Amino acid sequence: MAILEVNEIRKKFDKEEILKGISFSMEMGQTLSIIGSSGSGKTTLLRCLNFLERPDEGSITVNGDVLFFANYSKLDDKELRQKRHHFGMVFQQFNLFPQYTALENVILAPKLAATSKEEIEEITENGKELLRKMGLEDRMSNYPHQLSGGQQQRVAIARALALKPDILCFDEPTSALDPELTGEVLKVIKELAMQKTTMIIVTHEIGFARDVSDEIIFMDGGVIAEQGTPEQVIDNPTNERTKQFLANYLK
Amino acid sequence: MFVNVTLSLLEGFLGTLKLFLLTLVFSLPLGLIISFGSMHKRMIVRLPIRFIIWVVRGTPLMLQLLIIFYGPGIFLGMNVWGSGDGGRFTAALVAFVINYACYFSEIFRGGIQSIPKGQYEAAAVLGLSKSQTFFKIVLLQVVKKIVPPISNEVITLVKDTSLARVIAFYEIIWEGERFIKSAGIIWPLFYTGAFYLVFSGLLTLLFGYIEKKLDYFK
Repeated sequence: MAILEVNEIRKKFDKEEILKGISFSMEMGQTLSIIGSSGSGKTTLLRCLNFLERPDEGSITVNGDVLFFANYSKLDDKELRQKRHHFGMVFQQFNLFPQYTALENVILAPKLAATSKEEIEEITENGKELLRKMGLEDRMSNYPHQLSGGQQQRVAIARALALKPDILCFDEPTSALDPELTGEVLKVIKELAMQKTTMIIVTHEIGFARDVSDEIIFMDGGVIAEQGTPEQVIDNPTNERTKQFLANYLK
Repeated sequence: MFVNVTLSLLEGFLGTLKLFLLTLVFSLPLGLIISFGSMHKRMIVRLPIRFIIWVVRGTPLMLQLLIIFYGPGIFLGMNVWGSGDGGRFTAALVAFVINYACYFSEIFRGGIQSIPKGQYEAAAVLGLSKSQTFFKIVLLQVVKKIVPPISNEVITLVKDTSLARVIAFYEIIWEGERFIKSAGIIWPLFYTGAFYLVFSGLLTLLFGYIEKKLDYFK
């Protein structure tokens, strides 16, 4: 069964329709990359999945549980927070909390939900383990401003993983990084892909998307123009727009 | 003579200090509430609040003191402040609290609005509630941003308390002036400056310390 099913998502800002009916599904353990030019709606789609935007139409189902159905009355705050736990989100600008250390950033949210001392200890241990996996064991007590962009983004990935989301979303995770720092972040994401973490990655790194993805979606003008395996979409595109986009990209 | 003058000026300074401290105690929280009002989604809440802030910031504090103290008697025909020094103090306190709350509210608003949207979004995707987001994420970042402008206002407040003498509130300048009539000497009035200077010096040190304490993050 598909872990995620997105059905006919539409979203308008003012009068302009940014998402014009997006449907796709993905399997557990898969990595899905969404590529496309700026303004094609890929970031908006990701933000809809994370409830940072509210779709006007359509539905989102995770593990058979309907998270969002546009005709529902407005979700209350508590319900919304429950549903959010299915998704983790890594932002382009990292958005770490500056007054907390790397470790505190990672464990803040699970700690707030914890009920016992033992649980907090477990959360702290788990947070340290995650940072170790990110190659940051000597950076745990550093504050964000003491870390490089690549290190900050790896902390942000650990922070998203700490809540054990079903699906981890990345919104252009390397776009705000110096070119020499993108490698360390991509490497971490690649490792996650090999460990069968279910991920959706909005990215401009076409080469990386080809390497790491099981499935690729090419978005154009608010619709899915082409979808398939990396071999299909990137190496043998059939849609004219995809060909154009990739040609510009590789130039 | 010098010791006598110092002692009576100190007594006057107690009045200054009382007005200063109580103004802070009430105007800081009131300012936070007003700042929420001035950022409210609904125009019907936001506009009246912004209007009040405009009026209060756009007129002299001395005039506000006079209107608040004499206004009720003249326009409503009733003495809401009671008689004597207690009444003068209450009226002065009300005027100062309203005035400073409006100034503080603008500082708070600037601080709160300067927090990047990404901080709220990160908190939201981590499942934090609105109050958790405000108290665990936003507040300390706001405090760090507003310490310098708040310290400015607080130091201005120390000196603004002297305006309360227009409604005959007893404070240090009042006490200093008394010596002109009673002893024919003017230097006690000038000497009051030293009290202000020492006190604002202490406040400067205090705010410098707070700023330094919050220096561990950026």
